[in-house]
Amino acid sequence: MTDHLPALAFLVPFAAAVCLPLVGHCRTTLCRPVAMAAVAVMALLSGAGLWAVFAFGEVRYSVSGWEAPVGIEWVADEVAALMIAAISFVAAVSLLYAGSIDDSASRGRVTPYYTIVLLLLSGLVGVVYAADLFNIFVFLEVVALAGYALVALAGGRALMSAFRYLIVGALATTFYLLGVVYFYAATGALNLADLATRLPALLDSKAVLGGLIFIFIGLAIKMALFPMHAWLPDAYAHAPDAVTPLLAGLLTKIALLVWIRIQSWAVLAEPAEQAGTIFAVVSVLGILASVGGALLALGQRELKRIFAYAGISHVGLVLIGAGQGNQTGLAGGLFYLANDAVMQCGLFVLAGVVAALYQARSLEDIGSARIRNPWLLSAFVVVAIGMVGLPPTGGFFGKWYILLGALEAGNYAAVAAIVVTTLLTLAYMLRILERLFRTAGAEPVPASRSATLALRLSMAAPAAAVIGLGICSDSIVSALLDATSGLGL
Amino acid sequence: MRELIETALQRPNIVAFVLLLLVGLYIALTHRNLVKKLIGLYLVQTSVIFFLVTTGAKTGATVPVLLDTVSPVEAQAYVNPLPHVLTLTAIVVQVATLGVSLGIVSAIYRRYGSLDENDILEKLG
Repeated sequence: MTDHLPALAFLVPFAAAVCLPLVGHCRTTLCRPVAMAAVAVMALLSGAGLWAVFAFGEVRYSVSGWEAPVGIEWVADEVAALMIAAISFVAAVSLLYAGSIDDSASRGRVTPYYTIVLLLLSGLVGVVYAADLFNIFVFLEVVALAGYALVALAGGRALMSAFRYLIVGALATTFYLLGVVYFYAATGALNLADLATRLPALLDSKAVLGGLIFIFIGLAIKMALFPMHAWLPDAYAHAPDAVTPLLAGLLTKIALLVWIRIQSWAVLAEPAEQAGTIFAVVSVLGILASVGGALLALGQRELKRIFAYAGISHVGLVLIGAGQGNQTGLAGGLFYLANDAVMQCGLFVLAGVVAALYQARSLEDIGSARIRNPWLLSAFVVVAIGMVGLPPTGGFFGKWYILLGALEAGNYAAVAAIVVTTLLTLAYMLRILERLFRTAGAEPVPASRSATLALRLSMAAPAAAVIGLGICSDSIVSALLDATSGLGL
Repeated sequence: MRELIETALQRPNIVAFVLLLLVGLYIALTHRNLVKKLIGLYLVQTSVIFFLVTTGAKTGATVPVLLDTVSPVEAQAYVNPLPHVLTLTAIVVQVATLGVSLGIVSAIYRRYGSLDENDILEKLG
C-alpha cells in the first residue's frame, strides 16, 4: 500500500482540480470545501509518506510497472517526503487564509482560483517526486503555468506583471529544456540515477558543460536568483493577497530543489575533478544573492516587496549551503529550504492580514495604524525571529548547519555572507517591528473587522511550524544527512 | 576561426537552430508589441524543439517496430524513438503556454485597449 503513496499524493489534487470546474458550475460555494478536503487528504498522505520513508526507507515507484531507466520513475526519499510535507502545509495554510479574507479583487473567480491552486499543487508534487529530467520539465511547466494564471487572476495591474513573469518564466523553462537536450545528446539518458553513473566522467565534454549552464540559467531565473530576480517583486506585489503566500512559499523553492537534485544527485553524484569549480560558482552566486537581496529588502517601503526581497536573499543562503561540497552544508541547505517555504508563506499571510484588517500596505501605513491584534503581533514576532535565525526556530538550525558546512569547507567568504545577511535581515525586520509596536503618535485605527478563527489559525500555524521545525531539527537533519550520504561529497 | 566556421557549416541544422533561437530571443526581449513578444517566445521554443528533433535524426534507419521476432535485433537499423516522443510532449507544453499567454494578452487588451507596452505603462501611471 505504501508503495503507491507517491502516485496518490499526485492524483488527489489532480483529480480534485479536474472535478472542480463541474462542482463550481453547479454551486460555487461547494468549491472551497472540496478544495480544502483535497488538501487535507494530501496532507494526510504526506504525513503517511513521511512515516513510510522513516519506517521502510525510500520508495522507487515505477509508473505502469516499467522499471527505470526504460520507464518513468518516481523517487520518494527523505528529501522528497520532507518537501511534500512542507508543500501540503503551505497549501493548507494558504487555502485556510484565502477563504477567510474578503479579497475583493478575486471575488467572483472562486472556481478558477481553487482549480488552479489544485493544479499547481499536483504539479509541485510531480516535480518533487519525478526522477528524470524530462518529467521534471513537464511538471515545472505545469507549476509555472498555474503560477502565471494565479498572478493574473485578479486582473488590473497584475495583468502586466503576469505577462512579464510569463515571458521570463517561459524563456527559463525553454533554457532548462535546451540543457536537458544537451544532456540527452551527450549521455542518452534522462533518468537521474542513470545520469549519475554517466555524467561525472563526461564533465570534460563541452556538450555536458553547455547543458549544465543552460539548466542552471533556466532554474536560476525560476528561483529568482539575484541578479535574475527582476520579475519576482512586481509579480508578488501586484498578485492578489490570497495567492502570494502560496507562490512565495513554493514557486522559487521548487526550482531551487530541482537544481540541488540535479547538482548533487546526478552531475556530482560521484567524485569528479570539476566538482570544486561547480561548487565555487554556486557558492559565489549564493553569496551575491543573499547579501544583494537583503540590501534591496532594506530599501523597500511596501510590506510585500520587503518580504519578496527577503525571499530572494534566502534563496542565496540555500545555495551557499548547496555549494560547500560537504554533507553538512547540503543537509543544512535542504532543511533551510523547507523552513524558508514555511516562513515565506507565514510572512505573506501576515502581510495579507495587515492589508485586509488595517488597510496598511507600506511601512508608513503600519506606523500610523497602531495594530493591537495579539495573534497578529505574536505570530509576526515568531516568524521574524525565524527569518533572522535565532534559536529555537528552524531558521536558526538551518543557518547553523549551513554555517558549519562553510566552516568545514574553509569558505570564509560564505561565513561572512551568512553573518552579514543575518544582520541585514535583523535590520529590515526591526524596521517593521518598530512600526508595529509604536505606541506614540497617531490615533489608533480600529480594525475594520475582527479576525475570524480561521484567520487566527492561519496566522498561528506558520509560527507554530517555525518553532516546531526548530524543535524537530535534530531528527530531520540527521535524516537528511542519511539521504545525502554516498553522493560523492 | 576558419575551422570553426567549417565545422558549423557541416551541421546546417544546428546553425539554423542557433539563428532561430537568437532571432526569437531578440524579438521576445526587445519588441514593444505584446503579441510580437509572444511570437518571439514561440520561435525560441520552436528552435529548441527543432534541435531536439535534430539530435534524433538518423539516415538509413527505419521506424522502431520489430518486423519479425526471429532474426536478432539490430539496433543500428532503427531510429531512437525517444527524442520524437519528447518533442511531442514539448510541443503540447508549448501550446499550453501559448494558450495561457494569449489569454493574458486578451485580458490586457480588453482592459487597456492597446497592445503596445509603452501605451499600457503610460496608462498604468
